[in-house]
Amino acid sequence: MSIAKRIYAELQGDRAIWGVIAVLSIFSILAVYSSTGTLAYREMAGDTEAFLFKHLLIVAGGLFLTYLAHLMHYKRYSRAAPVLLLISIPLLVYTVAFGADINDARRWIQLPIVGITFQTSDFAKLALIIYVARTIGAKQEYIKDFQSAFLPIIVPVLIICGLIAPADLSTAILLFVTCVFMMFVGRVALPYIGLLLLLGVVVFAMLIILGEFFPDAIRSETWVNRMREYMDSPDGGYQVQQAKIAMANGEWFGLGPGNSIQRNYLPSPYSDFIYAIIVEEYGIFGGVLIIALYVTLFFRATRLVTKSPKAFGAMLVIGLSISLILQAFINIAVSVHLVPVTGVTLPMVSMGGTSILFTCLSFGMILSVSKYIESVSAEE
Amino acid sequence: MDIKNEVLYRVYFLLFGIVVPASLALVYRTVEITVFEGSRWRAEGEKRYLDYRTVEADRGNILAADGNLLATSIPYFDLYFDAKAAPDEVFEANLDTLAHCLAYYVLEDYTVGGAREYLVSLREGNNRYVPLRQKVSYAEKKFIESFPLFRMGRNRGGFIAEKRSERKRPFGILAQRTIGYVREGAKPVGLEGAYDEALGGQPGQQLMICVDPSKDLWMPVDDLTVIEPESGNDIKTTIDLDIQDITEQALSRAVNVHDAEWGTALVMEVETGAVRAIANLGRTKQGWWETYNHAVGTATEPGSTFKAASVLAMLEDGYLALDDSIRVFEGRAEFYEEVMEDASPYSYRLDSVSLREAFEISSNVGIAKAVEQFYGEKNRRNGNEGAARFIRRLKQFNLHQPVGIEIEGEANPYIKEAYSEEDYWSGTTLPWMSIGYELELTPLQLLTFYNAVANNGKMMKPYMVSAVERNGQVEEQFYPTVLNRRIASKEAVRQLQELLLAVVENEQGTAHKLQAAEYRFAGKTGTAQVNYKKGPRGNSIGGHQASFVGYFPAESPKYSCIVVINKPRRGGFYGGDVAGPVFREIADNIYRAKPQLHPVLNMGAELALDEGSLPGFSLGDPADFRSLMEQLEIRPYGEPETDVSVLRPKGDSLMIEPRTLPEDVVPSVVGLGLRDALSVLENRGLKVSVEGVGKVARQSIKPGTSIRGQQIKLYLR
Repeated sequence: MSIAKRIYAELQGDRAIWGVIAVLSIFSILAVYSSTGTLAYREMAGDTEAFLFKHLLIVAGGLFLTYLAHLMHYKRYSRAAPVLLLISIPLLVYTVAFGADINDARRWIQLPIVGITFQTSDFAKLALIIYVARTIGAKQEYIKDFQSAFLPIIVPVLIICGLIAPADLSTAILLFVTCVFMMFVGRVALPYIGLLLLLGVVVFAMLIILGEFFPDAIRSETWVNRMREYMDSPDGGYQVQQAKIAMANGEWFGLGPGNSIQRNYLPSPYSDFIYAIIVEEYGIFGGVLIIALYVTLFFRATRLVTKSPKAFGAMLVIGLSISLILQAFINIAVSVHLVPVTGVTLPMVSMGGTSILFTCLSFGMILSVSKYIESVSAEE
Repeated sequence: MDIKNEVLYRVYFLLFGIVVPASLALVYRTVEITVFEGSRWRAEGEKRYLDYRTVEADRGNILAADGNLLATSIPYFDLYFDAKAAPDEVFEANLDTLAHCLAYYVLEDYTVGGAREYLVSLREGNNRYVPLRQKVSYAEKKFIESFPLFRMGRNRGGFIAEKRSERKRPFGILAQRTIGYVREGAKPVGLEGAYDEALGGQPGQQLMICVDPSKDLWMPVDDLTVIEPESGNDIKTTIDLDIQDITEQALSRAVNVHDAEWGTALVMEVETGAVRAIANLGRTKQGWWETYNHAVGTATEPGSTFKAASVLAMLEDGYLALDDSIRVFEGRAEFYEEVMEDASPYSYRLDSVSLREAFEISSNVGIAKAVEQFYGEKNRRNGNEGAARFIRRLKQFNLHQPVGIEIEGEANPYIKEAYSEEDYWSGTTLPWMSIGYELELTPLQLLTFYNAVANNGKMMKPYMVSAVERNGQVEEQFYPTVLNRRIASKEAVRQLQELLLAVVENEQGTAHKLQAAEYRFAGKTGTAQVNYKKGPRGNSIGGHQASFVGYFPAESPKYSCIVVINKPRRGGFYGGDVAGPVFREIADNIYRAKPQLHPVLNMGAELALDEGSLPGFSLGDPADFRSLMEQLEIRPYGEPETDVSVLRPKGDSLMIEPRTLPEDVVPSVVGLGLRDALSVLENRGLKVSVEGVGKVARQSIKPGTSIRGQQIKLYLR
């Protein structure tokens, strides 16, 4: 058996999703390599290969994680959900109180012994999505009820999002919106969803007020500044203007791999503005391909839902893919100046250890569901 | 509607109602920015010409051995004004006072009103980088920075101070060439060049915006990636400022007096090989200047100073003892029809002398004939090595290799290979080599050899940098290095030392008149002909190079020193007359400046002090006591802050105790000296009259009486 056939046989589940992961990984490696020039100069005495190597390792580790995760039956994730959620609450509290400041935001904790910094919100996000999927799945019979269905779902959502929000508002809002969408798909009554959105707005307002008193823990000043910048300048702030110049340089087919000019002027070209660098190097063609890949992912997820007999599997897939596509679209929307600057990474493409590993884990879970759905529908 | 269908409807709504429209919006925006607005953004990219520009790191200092600065970077600032930085209300609020300050202190051609108009015009003209003043000191910058508006900083006030720096050598010409420089477009020179990497530090990078491409004006963009420059390390040299100054002055006098082409003088520490001074003076149109490092970079025929090496070879081989007789042929001999003559006034009367005498009077013929006898053709024909053995000895003395000094440009020594056609070896080569011709050495290389002789045969590698330091902390220490543990047998070296001492101390010696009274030194004179042509009908000479190389004090040598004066045109040309006195002046002054070189006069155990032998209960000014104790090398206890103190014996030292005198009543001044008593009483408004000499024994007003400006009489004894 040839190696290609062997790999093909090993990779079970939706092959289209595997394809999306593969293409995103390739883009990730190319774009990160070409955009880490300044970072490499600053931290590694110009050794760009060091970043490439580290990134390659992370991507390879992530893909292996996807592979492992997709082998497991997705019901196991369901069983682990409450425990994971319970672990994540003290972790988040610890992060807000004692976490490491990176780029002026307290989003990280240093893992003891191994010494890796670790973004706790990534962990909590995954735990919450699994939990919400499980709860919605289990309570389908009486999902429209307030007390027995709506409350058990919404309380953890509010707690987790509330804990993430002080240091990382965008992630909290994205997670909140993801959960709202999950509830929407999971047949929660529409008035409750409206109520939830209202609640979100109220909590946001409260955080801004609290930020006046606890400027160290809550970055409300930054949020207000970014909002103001978005409102005030029609062309965007410095970063957005540089991103636009980058994209304009790319035109239809791009400057070619490694030829980005704007990577030198764009702050964090390897994470927040990686879409702009991709458009600069690969043109509109490359940008549309990236968007199409995420849409494909969501499309395949929808297809799984239509096939899935079990509500938890469907909810998990829809939750994870909403989370991924939402994050991706917000990241791209920042670069194309549709929303204020947020600091959300492009999943699976931006450089960043925890982000890629948890994205890969999400992919693995989606594939696990798809694998079992395919085996069931084959039997049917 | 069943559960499955409701889920499906809602998912389809999500897909087609939200995801697909959102993705289309993103694609549309991408195309809009890239294509519809593309040309505008591309133009913006070219206009807003940003670049990461190098920010030079602060260059490290070059320090003398005692920590004095030999070279340092003095910072200065160029000041600019960004007229658009301040918000309208802030600009207007500060405009008048700023105009006032500027008109008085910076824009001296403007009146206050003129300055105000100028500021307004700058703001209206969108000027973001107006030069205010160039090359101001840190203090001036601080002052101007304190002006209204400016004190709000770069972003709100528009005050831009760009730091630059200038390399300065606080001691001017002193060791200038050795300190060297690094300049764009020029070969790096000296220690600056050799340690450029360590001194230079790591340049940083800052994002800058080009505000005027035609003038290449760049302004830093704040709040964005800045790679902080890492300042350079300091280099601690072995240069001793006192010795350097002494050496440079002595050399400077000599090149002037003798109207020389160039001169160089080097002082090395015998035990370590540390270069303590290195001076080079060359003639330029602007006077004497350190233009080239001759000590390191110029290899010439050394002449007679090389005889030490020839003699050491013969002593090492045991061919001769100091008192063995050798022939000098009345100071004139022919080698293969070429004539060699002695310069010594003694030679023409002599046919044969001892080796010792031949060396003292620096007889060319004597040394050359001896070398010819032991290493020449006859010796070779008898089946021996001949000249090859002589060359081997020279190599044993490390004379064929550069010494590897840290700075660039050390010239290679040139020692011919025996009988090598490539080196044009001829019958006259060996005799002329033996007296320092047909070979080349730099002053530094020759000094290294003499230093090894002074160091009893142990050859130290000369070095000029003892440490790389950072903020006073040693980063890297350089230790003395041995080049050759023993260049020759102890006995041979000892005999050569004896000969070198004889050159100075024996009456016939070429350096006899240089002998010093306070200390003994040893050395050898050299007078080499330059641009000469050897011929059967005598030699034509294009000038001389006078040199003297030696060490002092002779008993336990501390410093070795070489002086080379090239082409003296006035006041003689012999090594003993031209270079010798420079050596003597350097040695004299070093000897005077360094008491540790003097023989110890009062060697013996330090006296122990006991309470009984200490003076006690004296009254006086505590500062006077302390300075007196310092003179006597007694460390007292106590540091009272009162005007008057009392001295009490305590253990093996003295305690200075406070004595507070009342302010409002007449104090007791009994026991005080007159000066202290006067200051105490007159400060309290009393009129003092005095009788007798010594300390106060009695006072006319009782202590404790209230003060009303009375007359008080002191009786001193």
